[in-house]
Amino acid sequence: MLPKCPIVPRANGYPIVPGACGFPSPMASDSVSPSSSSDSAYDSAAYQNPNPNPNPSDKPINAIDGQLMSSLVLADSTDSVNHEEGPPSSVNEGDIVDANVLASEESDRTVMVEVDVREEEEEEVQRSEAVVVEERETGGGGGEGEVWRVNSELEVDAPDSPNSSGYAGERGTSSASSACGTGEDDICQVRDGDFVNGVVESQAVWIPGKRHVDEDDASMSWRQRKKHFFILSHSGKPIYSRHGDEHKLAGFSATLQAIISFVENGYADEANNGDRVKLVRAGKHQVVFLVKGPIYLVCISCTEEPFESLRGQLELLYGQMILILTKSVNRCFEKNPKFDMTPLLGGTDVVFSSLIHSFNWNPATFLHAYTCLPLAYPTRQAAGAILQDVADSGVLFAILMCKHKVVSLVGAQKASLHPDDMLLLSNFVMTSESFSPICLPRYNPMAFLYAYVHYLDANTYLMLLTTSSDAFYHLKECRLHIEAVLLKSNVLSEVQRSMLDGGMHVEDVPVDPSPRSGSASPHLGQHSPERVREAYTGTGGPCGLWHFMYRSIYLDQYVSSEFSSPIGTPKQQKRLHRAYQKIYASMHDKGFGPHRTQFRRDENYVLLCWVTQDFELYAAFDPLADKALAIRTCNRVCQWVKDVENEIFLLGASPFSWWGKRIEKCFAEWPVGGLIAGHLRL
Amino acid sequence: MGCASSVPDRTASRGPSSLNPGSEGANDAKNLKVKLVLLGDSGVGKSCIVLRFVRGQFDPTSKVTVGASFLSQTIALQDSTTVKFEIWDTAGQERYAALAPLYYRGAAVAVIVYDITSPESFAKAQYWVKELQKHGSPDIVMALVGNKADLQDRREVPAENGIEYAEKNGMFFIETSAKTADNINQLFEVFFVESIESCCSHMASFPLNMKLVGCVLVDLVAL
Repeated sequence: MLPKCPIVPRANGYPIVPGACGFPSPMASDSVSPSSSSDSAYDSAAYQNPNPNPNPSDKPINAIDGQLMSSLVLADSTDSVNHEEGPPSSVNEGDIVDANVLASEESDRTVMVEVDVREEEEEEVQRSEAVVVEERETGGGGGEGEVWRVNSELEVDAPDSPNSSGYAGERGTSSASSACGTGEDDICQVRDGDFVNGVVESQAVWIPGKRHVDEDDASMSWRQRKKHFFILSHSGKPIYSRHGDEHKLAGFSATLQAIISFVENGYADEANNGDRVKLVRAGKHQVVFLVKGPIYLVCISCTEEPFESLRGQLELLYGQMILILTKSVNRCFEKNPKFDMTPLLGGTDVVFSSLIHSFNWNPATFLHAYTCLPLAYPTRQAAGAILQDVADSGVLFAILMCKHKVVSLVGAQKASLHPDDMLLLSNFVMTSESFSPICLPRYNPMAFLYAYVHYLDANTYLMLLTTSSDAFYHLKECRLHIEAVLLKSNVLSEVQRSMLDGGMHVEDVPVDPSPRSGSASPHLGQHSPERVREAYTGTGGPCGLWHFMYRSIYLDQYVSSEFSSPIGTPKQQKRLHRAYQKIYASMHDKGFGPHRTQFRRDENYVLLCWVTQDFELYAAFDPLADKALAIRTCNRVCQWVKDVENEIFLLGASPFSWWGKRIEKCFAEWPVGGLIAGHLRL
Repeated sequence: MGCASSVPDRTASRGPSSLNPGSEGANDAKNLKVKLVLLGDSGVGKSCIVLRFVRGQFDPTSKVTVGASFLSQTIALQDSTTVKFEIWDTAGQERYAALAPLYYRGAAVAVIVYDITSPESFAKAQYWVKELQKHGSPDIVMALVGNKADLQDRREVPAENGIEYAEKNGMFFIETSAKTADNINQLFEVFFVESIESCCSHMASFPLNMKLVGCVLVDLVAL
């Protein structure tokens, strides 16, 4: 049964309250502090913050924070052995040292704007009772039954009831989610032999498309949604809403617009010209604003994701809109400020909803890097060669992808593709064979390109981008040529094999590193027979390594290990995704960062981050993992990545050939050997 | 089902040569190629019609078409004559309206679809007819299709209106249901017969009343 009290002493993701982690005081200045303004604005829009906590434990937020802090302190003290301070002067000399961000950030608390919700309390009581009834009916509660101020523990741990939707739906279909509703089923799923790629599986059960169109801001269920996204015009006209019908939300949109323009104009007299509201905190909720000319984007979330992440998500949402319409849509607003954009975006709900869904599982959404399908170097070279032929014949970009992973990518001379554009492009839903105008916001936000898309099989598709609107038949010819070559050279069958085998498994991390030899590292798909995976059944890789992500800065690429058994279920994966996202934000925090290393332990994981000028490594370990061993394992992972880099990354493809050289240089200078040697003494 | 179908007097409207035989340069008596474009408001079921025709499937949750998708379907007769339909299934959204000429240029057949439960979509269909009369190929054969004929109880556009408008503009008219597959094959049959007729008018003995029944579907994927 779902805990009724929304206050959980320790949030599952982190034992930290929002504001204490990752996004501290720099935002205090961004928040709207006079409560009078935001209160009145919210009230006028009937944007009630339904306080779900009518019982006596509804303490003031500060008290709750205090409680959380004290539990945090306890957690810290048990873990104090890991808090050695000592930032290395350079990576070459140092090893992985803890930068104890937690402690330093703890004292800086963002001033929160608290929305007064006392008036709604009575209503909330009634609703909570209704919730109880509903939970009984559905046998365990779920998205619908969750209360408004829910923290991450409730979010991730609440069993999904079949009739819950929204988030629950995103975590899986009713059948899938009910299957993982009990601990036992989790375990079953964990050892499912075919469970090669949890991400893919969790994607497979997610059905794109808009839900809850019947809801509006007066619906309880709408207000209980944990994450809202809105796009509206500067005149307050709704353009897109994640939940509910845009037209019914016109009043709510106008309120959001009023908040934005109040800050922009309202303070202008007080010589605060150019002020923009970026964030409003209301209890557990963050309201994040992004203004892009005449387009306003707003996210309202109680998922405890960092402000920077939410803002990045709004940027991507805007990019997706630009991809569909180009930035020249701004001209419509110049001509007519009251221009209604919804007809122009007709039918694109599915594109936006699948992007928003990808915020829950795709690391590319915050890493700003793309990932490649692991392939033998010659195979990828073969694919690149044929794409290069096509690129030389007037195609701007030729991209061969398998789901969200790049098989090969070639650009015409001097043209390069931003990873965000690739994310948005691959998210743009297309049918088996199509030819559509699209815009790459990072390439040229003002102009349309034409995308020829053809699915070579269920997952593998070829995208040819051109500037010419009548190139369809030419591109079709190109595709036939490419397809024939890919089939002949077995690239397609290799792609399918790689899909089944997956990429890097933490179980394969070399246990006994032999520095600089490389031969000890297993190549992907060549698992040595003596290394039996079952040795780690249920425990992930060596030294409690559960998962890692490695981002190569110069390649704009990342590689993520397959999900091992301890994070086998979609909800565990989503939780890890959020944890990574949070720690990424804290590593790149402009106020305190950038940090070089971070070692963080909570009841879910040990997270170890290591950022250098060449790469970033994020690794998740068993919460009981030994720190020295974890550091040593990270070194091994880096060495392993280096050893198989030509299988997991796209290297040396024109026009990025200089990257290859740069990478060679990086690795030559790279202190891995020294680090390993250093750690061997531990 | 109340599905109405009317074929206007062809001699009065357009001659049998209206399917541009040889316009693709690859047509001969045995292998005909017909470029077909579907136009109409968003959500009237254009993609569903095509999907029903090409794959025999109906997906009520089908995705919205973006830009235009390209499908082809070859129908082979027992005497090894083939008709290949190259179908452009366009997106109905307003933002793509300006791009429609890209797809209907050179098309031999335009299928203009509306939803019988939506008068707006019928108005939009009339817009497309005018657009094609103005900018389309003069030889283009147009068909007006009232889709979602299974939703009789929610019908808002009477079949008579469709028939009347189609006759006035020299178009074929048919009401279909992609959901129940009602009249879908009949719709394409019209073009099929037309194309054979136009291409093989010199072959006096050609069986014009041939039905799609018993035809072999080939070439679902590639050319």
